[in-house]
Amino acid sequence: MKRILIFAFATFLFSSCDDNDDTTDVQPVENAKTTITFDARVGNADFALNKDFTIGSRTYNFSKLRYWVSNVTLIDAKGTEYLIPDSYYLMEEVGDLNLSGTISDSLTYPARKRESIDVEDIPAGEYKSIKFSIGIDAKHNDNLSLQAGELSIANGMSNIAWMWHTSYIFSSVAGSVKEGTTSASFLAETGLNANYKTVSIDFAAPVNFSTAKGLVLNLDITKVIDGIDLIKTPKVNAAQAAVMSALATNYGTKALTFGSLSN
Amino acid sequence: MKFLKKNLLYTVGLSLVLTACGKEESVDPEPLNFQFVVPDNFPQPVWDTENPMTRNGIELGRMLFYDVRLSGNNKISCASCHDQKLAFSDGKALSSNGVSGTVLHRHTPALINLAWANNGLFWDGGSTNLESQAFGPLTAADEMQQDLFELVDELNNVPEYVKQFDLVFEDKISSQNIVKALAQFQRTLVSSNSRYDKFRRNEPGGDLSPTELHGLELVRQKCQSCHAGELFTDNSFHNNGIDADFDNDQYEGLFQGRFRVSYNPADLGSFKTPTLRNVALTAPYMHDGRFTNLEDVIDHYSQKILVSPTLDKQIPNNGFQFSVVEKEAIMAFLKTLTDEEFVTNSEFSSPR
Ligand code: HEC
Ligand code: HEC
Repeated sequence: MKRILIFAFATFLFSSCDDNDDTTDVQPVENAKTTITFDARVGNADFALNKDFTIGSRTYNFSKLRYWVSNVTLIDAKGTEYLIPDSYYLMEEVGDLNLSGTISDSLTYPARKRESIDVEDIPAGEYKSIKFSIGIDAKHNDNLSLQAGELSIANGMSNIAWMWHTSYIFSSVAGSVKEGTTSASFLAETGLNANYKTVSIDFAAPVNFSTAKGLVLNLDITKVIDGIDLIKTPKVNAAQAAVMSALATNYGTKALTFGSLSN
Repeated sequence: MKFLKKNLLYTVGLSLVLTACGKEESVDPEPLNFQFVVPDNFPQPVWDTENPMTRNGIELGRMLFYDVRLSGNNKISCASCHDQKLAFSDGKALSSNGVSGTVLHRHTPALINLAWANNGLFWDGGSTNLESQAFGPLTAADEMQQDLFELVDELNNVPEYVKQFDLVFEDKISSQNIVKALAQFQRTLVSSNSRYDKFRRNEPGGDLSPTELHGLELVRQKCQSCHAGELFTDNSFHNNGIDADFDNDQYEGLFQGRFRVSYNPADLGSFKTPTLRNVALTAPYMHDGRFTNLEDVIDHYSQKILVSPTLDKQIPNNGFQFSVVEKEAIMAFLKTLTDEEFVTNSEFSSPR
């Protein structure tokens, strides 16, 4: 009786190491580091929680804004891509979140505003654009045991119950909306591999990160919810596949734009 | 029965992915070496979860599978609901073995040949792999209701675990490493030594009686479009006509089956095809355990099909209309799928 054998040996995997070393072949140049800020805005105003904003004929008051930014890649003038290692970042503006009963009996996620990521060891060069995704790539989305960057099931941005799909919630905006006498509390979320969106943004002029201190991208909430009727569909999730996909497309196509560079 | 015999050597990911950790690593492949033996009559399993199986990893997974520390009240282990004697099922229609003591909404499936289950776990297929899946029972209030932070603390108090996790993952205890070890153990739960298998492989003890052979023929014709191949499942989702009304969307679509995951109307009332292996040991049957014995199941397929727009086309509206002789033959054949070695193999039993 012959047998078919699979040798699953020697596949030694260190998915993440505590001491953070560079993983690129390119020799990093001293000081090539920068801060990338995702500046949340409502049109021309700065985004804030618990504050009324008028968008069209409606008044919105937001209680939460969270989204995963992943696989951030800088592209130089020659088209060479530098993928920031382990780049999974949870961008957010939230008050205290009660996450009890998710992975812990009583768990409070403290209020937090996070708009920036610090990037180090950028190979020398003139960069012309940036590419990143909103959401989590299929490989990591389908496997909650993979550890990379800030990926975690402890922050309320994943589904681990069998209710839905064991995967990450890509984005989540909550609040209330009013128009005349009608109002609704909404929770608009995206997820599922099909809604993983990659955004490419060109810089106004080539950027040298050994001098440029910071890069600002704008996230405009009016564009995020553009075309989504949150009074009619206040709960956007996998059960409203079409609306969820429209919402994800908004993140992928128009909500994020180039803001500014600081030198 | 002649098989095309191949002798394939697969080297799964000989890749040594070392993202330089600064310190020197001495790689000793010996304790890592684990040979996943694919039974001759089985297809190749496919999984890609960056969780290579090692002997130590499997052993750690087994310790965890049988350890009541994994539950919030330290009274329940995975094995409380997945009992080896019953091919890792629990003999109940709907279990109330969980920490909360409440009745679960779904019947506990047997855990058999999970290394091949690559199209979604759970009755609705909502979980993509064994690694992600384990977070479900660990945290669900009506199952193990475990606080994952507490669990890591608890295991850190057991020197044996600290040592084992370090050995297996060269890492500290984390919930991610816990689910990885559990997955490694569960992938070893291969059932391939039933009388039917021996028959397929022309091995001693592989004789089927004329009635059983008749049953095999009927199962091939009528059942194997879904309970397909040597795994007796196509790992896919079908409406097999046990219900016809799926309007009730309570409990986040509990009664709507695969639809609650895919939101595709064609999936209303579809559930994952369970394997027929060891089926004589895994009563009661279906996603809610509604049928107490195999006779009921065969009667269902024979003449009790409930017709709805999503009823699978492989099943005639008025059932397969089996004769008494045919029913007995199918029953006789299903019993040849029982694998005594699987339910008694000490490598799958509690390590204590
Ligand atoms: C209280 C009983 C209970 C406990 C404890 C329990 N399970 Fe389960 N298990 C179930 C039920 C019920 C299902 C089916 C759930 C569903 O499909 O919605 C299931 C499903 C599964 C599946 C999916 C099998 C398939 O073919 O889709 C796996 C794998 C599994 N359990 C492993 C485990 C592991 C590992 C543990 C311990 C960490 C565990 N279970 C603890 C009851 C339990
Ligand atoms: C169209 C696909 C299909 C066909 C054909 C089919 N089945 Fe099934 N079978 C299923 C699905 C799907 C389930 C699970 C349904 C559920 O739980 O709601 C199932 C469940 C079962 C179960 C229960 C197993 C368990 O562990 O709960 C048995 C036994 C069974 N089928 C036997 C048969 C037999 C015998 C035949 C042929 C006469 C057959 N099936 C034909 C799809 C099919």
